[in-house]
Order: sequence, then structure tokens, then C-alpha cells
Amino acid sequence: MHAQLAAALSAVFDDGLPIEVSGLDALPGGFSRETFMFDATTIDGDTSKTRPMILRKDPPPSVAILETSRLVEHNLLEGLRAHTNLPVSRSYCVEMDPAVFGEQAMIIERMPGSGQTSDLFNGGPDADQVDDVMRSLCEILVELHETSIDTIDPDGALNDPRQVGIDPTSWDAYMDSTFQYYIDAYPDIEYDPLLLVILDAFLWLRRNKPRPMPLAIVHGDFNPANFLYADGRVTALIDWENTRVGDPREDLGWMVLMDVLSNTQVMAHPADEGGFLAYYNKLRGLDITPEELGYFTLFGTANIAVPVNRALARRTRKEQTEFLHLYMLQSSAPALMSFLSLLGYPGVPA
Amino acid sequence: MITSPSIDDMLEGLILALDADIMPHLEQPKAQASAQMMQSLLQGIRQLLPVYDASLIEEHNEMNKGIREAAALVEGVSGPEADRMRARAETIAAVADLPAPLDMVEVKAAHRVRTEAVRDSLIDLDELQRAGVDAADDSLNALRAMLTPHYLRYMGTFPMQGGMLGRG
Repeated sequence: MHAQLAAALSAVFDDGLPIEVSGLDALPGGFSRETFMFDATTIDGDTSKTRPMILRKDPPPSVAILETSRLVEHNLLEGLRAHTNLPVSRSYCVEMDPAVFGEQAMIIERMPGSGQTSDLFNGGPDADQVDDVMRSLCEILVELHETSIDTIDPDGALNDPRQVGIDPTSWDAYMDSTFQYYIDAYPDIEYDPLLLVILDAFLWLRRNKPRPMPLAIVHGDFNPANFLYADGRVTALIDWENTRVGDPREDLGWMVLMDVLSNTQVMAHPADEGGFLAYYNKLRGLDITPEELGYFTLFGTANIAVPVNRALARRTRKEQTEFLHLYMLQSSAPALMSFLSLLGYPGVPA
Repeated sequence: MITSPSIDDMLEGLILALDADIMPHLEQPKAQASAQMMQSLLQGIRQLLPVYDASLIEEHNEMNKGIREAAALVEGVSGPEADRMRARAETIAAVADLPAPLDMVEVKAAHRVRTEAVRDSLIDLDELQRAGVDAADDSLNALRAMLTPHYLRYMGTFPMQGGMLGRG
């Protein structure tokens, strides 16, 4: 692996200097990509320069949760770096030939800051920073949602990155085609009776379409584990593999659900602004209601629920034996309770 | 209640994960031995679970019968020991045998059929609601009220511990 990494980066730096790869180590964290940290050091006579790096590599297709393209992610990161002030990693290169790293892979800059975001909550060691970090996170999300789609995605790669028939030519077309994607996917993800509430949610979403809102680039996995922070501000928004054109309320709704699953309280901050939604509304001059937030908690969760439960269905059929997928059966169960609550099931607290 | 994966599937998954994700990274022989012990114990539990209920009941009924037969064989014997054996046969061992547990394969199959019926009802109710049939609202609510305790029971017996682990 060291030689392949050095060779890939040599083509990027193009200065003819030797590159030494060190500290290669697998990272926990992302559930969908295999992530490794390493340092790349170029040596020029008596001087050397070390760059912190991340290798993001696809898992084998049989155990993939999200089937996304590293090339699309690479182009997105570089587009965001060129046209926005968003704190995102430089993507040094993408390798689509699986012969090199075993699967498709990309090498990106390892950004500064702590990824131990749970330290911000529940009396953790960085709890004193939480309001400032959440303020910063909200401002970053607003900038993303207000970025021109055409500027970042001139070729339309983010219109329907899963290639499942999503039509973003209008808000209505986007929503209707997404409902159909969810409902059509259900037979393939139904591995257990517990999934009934998800079908109920898919059908309810279609019956209760809310007011329209201009489509935007959505992060697609905006959750409490996908940012780094230091000194009261967000230093990086990470994990852009599920980014696409969508309704911006999806990012907010998914965060609501992931707050529950992660035992964090992102949405309660910045407290002096009345919480994340209130601050987002203030910055954008919008009035997204709690009811809309609830709707998009279901809608945004459904977007992830389809590929995740498809992977879990493969696991329950023993087409693969990935342990993480078994764990996700347990760790995603609170999401089902959120579904019950948002759908107003009798006997479930709102 | 979750039926797929089964409890056996989950235990098997733990054994496989110990093999694939843990043992290759254990350097200490003691830790390797502990991991192998865990696998052995988990495999034992896999074999114990499917027969556990039936075995308890079978043994309960066999003990009833055995106590009665043993007492009958000392029918002509006098003395407090033999009296106590007869007393046990006439009290503890005189109760009716317990029924054999239901075949879980059959139970799961029947559960599956009802699940599909509920699923198809949800789809039909969606059609009715979209057509403006008011009664469909109450009908859907009745199904949801039936489902609620299923989820509460599942969450109460298979809870997640400490948030999504390994994600920062």
C-alpha cells in the first residue's frame, strides 16, 4: 500500500521529489468507506515537507452500504474548494482502477481539528465550546445550501448520483420521483417485520408533501460525526459521498435523527440563538417550521434508510458476513422509534 | 419482535467477527485464548438455545414420571423415607405434564404471513386515503396502535448502548 500511495501522489506533486509514506493506519468512524490516515513526506535535499493525508477507499461491493462514486466526490470537493469558503479537504487524486488499491479510492487532505465530536456534549471535555462550534456548523450549512448548484455541479453529476430515476428539474418533480424511489425499493429492503413502519413512512411522505422550497446542494449525511472542530469553530465538514441536489431541509432533518442515534444535542445549539433550526432560519431569512423539520426527518432518513436497509437485507440473507451490518441492526433501532413518533403512532410520545 | 436475523444468526455473526475482525489483531497469547473461549461459549449457546425450552419441559415431565415410578417401586416399604417418596409422588409429581413448546419454525412462518397481510393493508389504506376515504384514517390508526407495542417491546429488550459506537 505504501508504494501505491507514494506513486499516486508523485503524479500529483509532479516535482520529481521522492515521497515517503508513513504512519499508515486504519481509522474507525465512517460506516460506508474504509478510511486510512497517513503522512506523505517529500524530501528535497536537507529539507522535507510532510502533508497529512487520508485514503478513502470503497469497501468490496458485496458489503457496500452506499454505492457512490469517488470521482464524483473528488470533483465535488475540488469544486467546493474553488468556489466557496467551506472548510473541505483538498482532494489530491482519485484512483478509479481497483487494481491499484483494491477498490476505487481517493487521497484527500487530512484536515486539522478533533473528530471526537461527542466531547462537545453531555458534559464532555469540550462542552464549553458547543455553542460556538454549532454556530460555526450552522453557518457552514447555510453557505452550502446557498451555493449555486450550477457552479458546483455544471455537469449534473449530483442530480441523481445513485441513478435511481430522481428528477430534479423542479421541486415537485424531485419530491415525486424520490417518493417513487423509496416505495419501489421497499420490497428489496423488507428483511423483517420491523420494517413495516418504514413502508408506512414512505407512503405517508407521499400523501403529505409540504410546501416547496428551492432545491440546493445537500450534504446528504449531515450528522454529528461528520465535522471536525477546534477552538470553538468547525475546521472541516467531512464525508461528502452522499452529496446531491435535494431539499435543504433534508440535511436538517437527518441531523435531528442522528442527534438521537448519536446521543448528541446538535439541534439544541447555539442555545443563545434558540437552537440550530432557529439560527438557520435567521441566517437564511426562512421560517422552516418544526412540522416541516419533522417531515424532513422522515424524508431525509428515508434517503439513507433505503441503501442501509438494502445492505442489512443482504446481511440477513447471509450474502455477506459483515459484522458492522449486524451491529447496525441494533444501533439503528432508535430510528424506528423516531419514525413511530413522527408518524403519530398511538401510545408513542411525540 | 425481530425475526430476521434470528438470534442464532446474530451469535454466528459474533463468532465470525471474532475470527475476522479481532483475532488477527491480538498479539498476546492470553488474549487469543480468551477470544477462542468466547467463540466456544457462543457456539455452545447457539446449540443450547434451540433446544433449551423443549428440554426443560421434557425433563420436567420425565421427573414427574420418574418420581411416581420410584415411589411405586417402594409401595410395600414402610418407614418415613418411603412415606416421603409416596408423598412427593402424590403432590409434586402428580401435577399434569407441561405442554411441549410450539415449533418456532412454524411460529415464525405464521408470523411472516401476518406481517405480509399488515404490509398489504398499509398499501391498500394508502390508496384509500389518497382517494379521500375518511374511514381509512381510523383504519390506519388501528393498525398503528396494534404495531406500537411490538416496537416498544423490541426496543425494551434489545436496546442500543451508548449511541452509535465508533463514530466520534
